[in-house]
Amino acid sequence: MIELKDVCFSYSDMIALDHINLSIKTGEAIALMGANGCGKSTLLKLLNGIISPDSGSYGFHGEEVTHEKLQDEKFSKHLHQKIGFVFQNSDTQLFCSSVYDEVAFGPKQMGVAESEVEHRVNDCLALLGIQEFRNRIPYHLSGGEKRKVAIACVLSLNPEVLVLDEPMNGLDPKTQRWLVDFLKKLNKAGKTLITSTHNLELVHEISNRAVLFGESHTIVADMVTEELLTDVELLKRVNLVDSCYQYKV
Amino acid sequence: MDHTEIKVNDMPEWLLKNENYIPSADKDTFVNKSILSVFKVLSRIKKQDSAGETAFQINVPLKVFGTLVLILLVSLTRSFVFVIIVNVWLLAVLSMTDTTRMIVILKLSMGITFFTAIIMLPAFVLGNTYSSIMITTKVFATITAMGLLSHSTKWSALTQALKRFYLPDIFIFILDITIKYIYMLGEFSLNMFYALKLRSVGKNRGKYSSMAGIAGTVFLQSKEMAEDMYHAMECRGFTGEYHMNDKSMFKWRDYLYIGIIAVFFTLFIYFGKV
Repeated sequence: MIELKDVCFSYSDMIALDHINLSIKTGEAIALMGANGCGKSTLLKLLNGIISPDSGSYGFHGEEVTHEKLQDEKFSKHLHQKIGFVFQNSDTQLFCSSVYDEVAFGPKQMGVAESEVEHRVNDCLALLGIQEFRNRIPYHLSGGEKRKVAIACVLSLNPEVLVLDEPMNGLDPKTQRWLVDFLKKLNKAGKTLITSTHNLELVHEISNRAVLFGESHTIVADMVTEELLTDVELLKRVNLVDSCYQYKV
Repeated sequence: MDHTEIKVNDMPEWLLKNENYIPSADKDTFVNKSILSVFKVLSRIKKQDSAGETAFQINVPLKVFGTLVLILLVSLTRSFVFVIIVNVWLLAVLSMTDTTRMIVILKLSMGITFFTAIIMLPAFVLGNTYSSIMITTKVFATITAMGLLSHSTKWSALTQALKRFYLPDIFIFILDITIKYIYMLGEFSLNMFYALKLRSVGKNRGKYSSMAGIAGTVFLQSKEMAEDMYHAMECRGFTGEYHMNDKSMFKWRDYLYIGIIAVFFTLFIYFGKV
């Protein structure tokens, strides 16, 4: 489904991704791990077509995603519908005047019939348990509620791939647990999940494969999540944990 | 990841199917241009981080003082020769900077000089040639001097230098915070534009209302950040006094710079008398 071959990307003179090779199959649940500033968020931006590789190739469903193709409105809109992105800071994702408008924003643009839009919005609000916020202003919601609205906005587009940047950040333990269960459900329903996270306690629940980035902006490991979590030496080497870290199942 | 106890029965049917959607054509030029312009501002601020790392590591307050003196002398002089000497000196300094910086500074000074020349054109045509050429050359010198100062000095160092000129603390503090928040809110709005672009998967009939939504959210965010900072400053015991830890000493190149400014001052007096 997603194929990255020898992808490099840099911001001015600062390397963010260095010769990245990654293959993701439909229905997989992948976690991107690594210390701060190792290139995880850049990779997520690249997967969503916000940026394009300086060199190497990015393929989605066998079609190469290039800078030129992303300039084509039809192509980029198609890609954005197929890959939904949940931003780390939910505030940046919400700009409509009510929760209903936020969730209906995508389906309305897709030309879905008004009754179907209503149906989709109701389904999404119910799935995320936020029906009572339907007419509220998104900005005035709590952090956890905003995150749920942001996920609902993306879900209403019915993307094949869901990309989440640090989804557990700033959430209380109960909401984190709820989100883990919800992501499991989505994956079970056939959605491909790509999650960037630092949460070593919950990562094995939301992914079955983990991709570990080193401080050199390269992929240093690509293995089963639980195996990675037990390799303390490797985690220490990439500066993700210190000697206090212990893996608990 | 364990799937044994997870049920998908409560998932709506449409979410289980693959969307067969073909987007209709729509123009996103406005969003793309907004992304590009915010991105440009942010990279310019980021580039300022390395602005101080040039060959001319002159004491910043001295550099600010020297530039102001030079601009003052250029503005006051009636000698065309003096203005030309200053311009030659500034171009010589400019030629020693790196190419990117040189192009940026030259683009700015040439652009503004060009517009000044257009404004001066009627005076030139009507016979007032000396003044029109003089003013245009003076504008070039002033903008180049300011460009050299701003592109070779970090903004934080510039505001720090203002403290040496006994400017009120609150003024320096506001300047410092303004630069910081332009960057932070710029990054926030850039992410909002990205989100708008990613969620605009079809024909968006309310582009401008989405933009208004972004502007409103950025405003609310700035208000929240301002309140948070006010409370943080209170908690940290801020009394309105802004301390700077500047222990920089004069080096040989600073004395050389003082010498050059003195030479310009002498030339100003000399050509003023001629």
